[in-house]
Amino acid sequence: MTRTHKHRLRQALLPAVVIAIMLVGAHSASAQFGAGMRPSAVSGIGGVAGWLLAKQAAFYTALAAMLRSAKVDGSALWGLMGISFLYGIFHAAGPGHGKAVISSYLLANEETWRRGIALSFASAMMQSLTAVAIVGIAAVLLGATAKIMGDTVRIIEIVSYGLIVALGARLLWVKGRGFVSALHALKAEPASAGAAAGNHYDAVCQCGHGHPPDLAVAFACESAGSHCHVHELEEPDVLPWGHAHGPEPQELAGPGGWRRGLSAVVAVGLRPCSGAIIVLVFALAQGLLWAGIASTFVMGFGTAVTVAAIATLAVGTKALAKRLAGRPLGYGSVLMRGVEAGAAALILAFGVLLLTGYMASERMGLF
Amino acid sequence: MKATPAMHDLRPRHWIKILLSLLAWISVTTVTAQAHPHVWATIQTELLFAPDGAVTGVRHIWTFDDMYSAFATTGFKAKVKGQFTRQELQPLAQVNVESLKDFAFFTFARIDGKTKRDAFNNPVDYWLDYDAKSKQLTLHFTLPFKNPVAVKQLLIEVYDPEFFVDFGPDEKDPVKLIGAPPQCTVTAEKPPDQNFTSSQSLSQMFTNAEANIGMGMNFSNKILLKCP
Repeated sequence: MTRTHKHRLRQALLPAVVIAIMLVGAHSASAQFGAGMRPSAVSGIGGVAGWLLAKQAAFYTALAAMLRSAKVDGSALWGLMGISFLYGIFHAAGPGHGKAVISSYLLANEETWRRGIALSFASAMMQSLTAVAIVGIAAVLLGATAKIMGDTVRIIEIVSYGLIVALGARLLWVKGRGFVSALHALKAEPASAGAAAGNHYDAVCQCGHGHPPDLAVAFACESAGSHCHVHELEEPDVLPWGHAHGPEPQELAGPGGWRRGLSAVVAVGLRPCSGAIIVLVFALAQGLLWAGIASTFVMGFGTAVTVAAIATLAVGTKALAKRLAGRPLGYGSVLMRGVEAGAAALILAFGVLLLTGYMASERMGLF
Repeated sequence: MKATPAMHDLRPRHWIKILLSLLAWISVTTVTAQAHPHVWATIQTELLFAPDGAVTGVRHIWTFDDMYSAFATTGFKAKVKGQFTRQELQPLAQVNVESLKDFAFFTFARIDGKTKRDAFNNPVDYWLDYDAKSKQLTLHFTLPFKNPVAVKQLLIEVYDPEFFVDFGPDEKDPVKLIGAPPQCTVTAEKPPDQNFTSSQSLSQMFTNAEANIGMGMNFSNKILLKCP
């Protein structure tokens, strides 16, 4: 079998597997409601948001039901995985999952859709990992109470939102200056505008080829470094379905390596979702900790699918805009730098709103 | 080097495409749907009266779902495994009522048609029971009114504005009057959408849920006391 054939087969198999999982999940979701749970009265939100809410609530109760039946019937574990995946997909649309931060980060930087997908998956996996780590360390090893777990999540949450603020501020500083200098260059000397904007950071960061000696420089260069790899004249890497082959690891790492984008992954991935923690503890109580852990990661996988779709949309839009903006000189360049600075400002705004409690973040239990 | 499209290549449909996808992106990232319920509480409410007919407080009996109950009891040791006594759970009850203060006890009062903020003193007579069979926690607590209210009409609403907790009335005994004057009557109105049976399929569930979305429904449990 040739390489192309293998890839074709893989491309055909993936949707089939996804559909199969969804069918299993949908079938299992008709299981009975457990002790004290009931289908939720969906609040006055209409439209897509209300629809998403209804789906999430249904899959969440189904998750609990699957865990209850898995205790006596091992075959329910398959249903549990299907439900976890679907719950992740729908839950990622809810608050606190950093889809806004990840996709704004991609807009602010020069990233490919593959990097967008990689960052989405990395942040979702990190989220699953923190959920498992909190329950594993607090509940299993230390025998801590729900209140202690809740307090831990709250501290992690503040750190995470602080990181988002820092990420936004840093990007805004870099991208804002890029925008301003592009603007100045346009006014002063239209002919050299592109050169001025494009090479601004090369001297400091050496285009990611060097190895910055400390973390601070690495941080500053992470975003600035992207400027060094602007391939203004190449056909943009827009459409995932247009490519016959899957991404190679080196491609995923992209220029600058895995470290670039790590701050966004950590900022988003630190805060686990409350549902995952409650489900994990419930699984632990049923003596099904491993099933709970597997469910958490499958949930993360579902979350990543949604975030990756949104990330791809953002990257695709930017690439299209860039293509249309034309040459790296002139108004087009100013426009693109403006979009990047705007996206950076958006991250900062998200962080501040989350930190000050004006933007919805998931609560963590009542205790 | 490939040729780049010049500015004159920009056709309106391209810009429309960009605008539409930008709009789509903004809407999916900023329309952060509200949290879905993570906790279910089946509630019984008792209105307490003084001998002179004034309402002195609200007694709550909230039974939580088994998943949340398992979560809430983590780290608490029971002498007999799986059978918590009231004493063993008292520290948890203490934490519960303290935390509930941050949420105004999810209890909102309207006296004679006027919303009364900060109507209650701190809870008294609180404890937790654990049903070993259903594995569910039940929280009991009493909210005394700061000033006992002699009213013609009192509306008590129980709900979580963030909808993290889904409150629903007990089917048999949603509300009771304790020591009420004979002319007082009470009605309990439950939030809509509660009439599902557990045998419904997923698709039925969604069609029903969707049919109700956008109808301006709310999810509060209303207890209306009338003492004419």
